[in-house]
Amino acid sequence: MADLVIPQHILDDIIDHAKQLAPYECCGLLAGTDGIVSRLYRIKNIVAMEGAQNLSSFDSAKSAHLERLSPTERAEIAFVMDMQDFSTAKKDMRNNGLDLQVVYHSHPHDPARPSVTDIKIATDYEEIWPKINLPLPAYLLVSLMNPEPDVKTYWIKSGRVTPADVLIR
Amino acid sequence: MIKVRIPTPLRPLTKNQGEVDVAAGSITDLVNTLEASYPGIKARLCDDNGELRRFVNIYVNEEDIRFLKGKDTALKTGDEVSIVPAIAGG
Repeated sequence: MADLVIPQHILDDIIDHAKQLAPYECCGLLAGTDGIVSRLYRIKNIVAMEGAQNLSSFDSAKSAHLERLSPTERAEIAFVMDMQDFSTAKKDMRNNGLDLQVVYHSHPHDPARPSVTDIKIATDYEEIWPKINLPLPAYLLVSLMNPEPDVKTYWIKSGRVTPADVLIR
Repeated sequence: MIKVRIPTPLRPLTKNQGEVDVAAGSITDLVNTLEASYPGIKARLCDDNGELRRFVNIYVNEEDIRFLKGKDTALKTGDEVSIVPAIAGG
């Protein structure tokens, strides 16, 4: 039994989202029940918004790095979810009896594996999920660095990254 | 008292405390009270007009204040408030 089942049309939608936003990073959520994904929510990447680089979840080193870039350059190497979109998605999940399964984002220029920042923030978030009544999600990355998009999914727990077993159908 | 959960990125402002207790009757009141004890925290949560920034959510007992009465949401003793930073990555 796979950890997650993702329908092909939802995987195609993630890749479309990544391609539409390239060279900027896209982000979103997948919801479903018992590891079976049935819905995708695109979330706005607001890292280019004034102040996002030092008002969100980044540590001081990443913030300092983002500070040196223009807002649009920031969106090529980082994402910050619009939490208003996030809350709307969370409410829709609850209304439809769905649970969060996956947090996804794209790496337009880099491989489909979590960056140091991804791991740090996912680890910080481990204590937040239960407090907002959501299960620990898997993390899906789509890389556009090569002509053929590469998609990989991971669990990030206590700073450790392990591949998630995903069935596409 | 209201129990307020402080996320990791804001803990440098709260002397590394992950939870603080605050006496407050509303979210606006709570933010101002936090600001008095931990200067700088208000600017991380609210814009110049006092509206909640899109990089952050505030939950009262697991409900987003955007779906309650926003910054006017009333608080009572025993409520738990969680400040949740944006999901982000690189």
